[in-house]
Amino acid sequence: MSSESAVKLYHFPASGPSRGALLAARAIGVPVQIQTVNLFQKEQLKEDFLKINPQHCVPTLDDDGFVIWESRAIACYLADKYGQDEDDTLYPKDLKQRAVVNQRLYFDASSLYVKIRAICFPILFLGETEIKESLKKDLNSALEFLNEFLETGKWVAGHSLTIADTSIYASLSSILAVGWDISSFPNIQRWIKGCATIPGYAENEEGAKQFGEAVKKNLKTNIK
Amino acid sequence: MSVSNGHPQRVVVEQGAKVRGGEGVQPSPRFRDRSRVQPGFISTRREVLVYFDSKVSNTFYLLYRLEREQLKPEYLKLNPQHTVPTLVDDGLSLSYLANKYGKGSTLYPEEPRARALVDQRLYFDIGTLYQRFADYFYPQIFGGAPADQGKLQKIEESLKFLDTFLEGQKYVAGPNLTLADLSLIASVSSFEATDIDFKKYSNVKRWYQTVKSTAPGYQEANEKGLEAFKGLVNSMMKK
Repeated sequence: MSSESAVKLYHFPASGPSRGALLAARAIGVPVQIQTVNLFQKEQLKEDFLKINPQHCVPTLDDDGFVIWESRAIACYLADKYGQDEDDTLYPKDLKQRAVVNQRLYFDASSLYVKIRAICFPILFLGETEIKESLKKDLNSALEFLNEFLETGKWVAGHSLTIADTSIYASLSSILAVGWDISSFPNIQRWIKGCATIPGYAENEEGAKQFGEAVKKNLKTNIK
Repeated sequence: MSVSNGHPQRVVVEQGAKVRGGEGVQPSPRFRDRSRVQPGFISTRREVLVYFDSKVSNTFYLLYRLEREQLKPEYLKLNPQHTVPTLVDDGLSLSYLANKYGKGSTLYPEEPRARALVDQRLYFDIGTLYQRFADYFYPQIFGGAPADQGKLQKIEESLKFLDTFLEGQKYVAGPNLTLADLSLIASVSSFEATDIDFKKYSNVKRWYQTVKSTAPGYQEANEKGLEAFKGLVNSMMKK
């Protein structure tokens, strides 16, 4: 792999999924050229970007003309194409191990992140100023599952860091930055400490902080 | 895996049906554990029809899967015991099965770019299209809530995206039928139980007809479950 060839990522640091793709890229070690798309200023709706991605979302990857979006599809693609870890652990080729990573990725997409989004999107964009009890319960149910996943292994899909960890951590760090209470999830607390060793962790924290501040600004009361 | 929070788990039922010769399909260990059936919820799920052409033994396997996903607790007022959804997910099942039984199949191509496109369409289904469908529809059928026009608009928007993806393409991820088409057809066909007119999007209408006629066993696998779903919807709306 040529060291000059970077993949281009249309990215918004505050966005959880966008950070998920970037964190995966950092863990995989592929060079990334970042092109910022500011969602708060609706830059994703500009003509130029719509031509690239008619679904106008971030992250969007442009790998030498090949355009793909959906953060987890991007992570899988980058791992398969550029992954150089000798032990093939970030997105294992072994059928069953890969299936577990895929399950965690889909869990993030359909059960975890979607609940974080259900809480934060209305606060950021629709004038909502509080968090409904039912939405709190929803998210905590998902976190119970995540805590359970982390019972038997150090990482979400087992004993090695995978792109499921980068995806889920990017999601979770968003709501943590808003002040979510995870004191009843000991495995998640332990896992978060481990996530601090992921390349790109500091970069993710910076983006999560921006997200958290944007949400807290519109919240009437503190979460805790 | 078990969830240690005291809530009983809901159901995933997987049936393997032999269509023509060959060996029966071994369900994955994850699904083998789920044996309790909750009748009221069987039809409130999505079905996926997957078939594999095993080139070695020239047999077809028809897998008819019922799964529930992302049903929010507040919609489950029918039975307050069952407030925790099972960990079902489309991607695990489809891609695991495709990887295991369909090596070399165009259903889930191995070439990274082609696969990434299928993955992106799968995530679009689960994270956007079906997500918005459930968000709009389930509060009405389970919670007796009125239709939310804002949520309906989000569905229309996701159908427009799908229409755009299908511009100039026979199938949703390229020239061949893939897992993404099968996953999406299950979602879109559920719209037939509602008054959402997805056929006004010309590419979606054309694609819908194509997949219904080219996905083997579609009638048997999807139509049955769809009728059951429609029946459930009708009985709930009558209340």
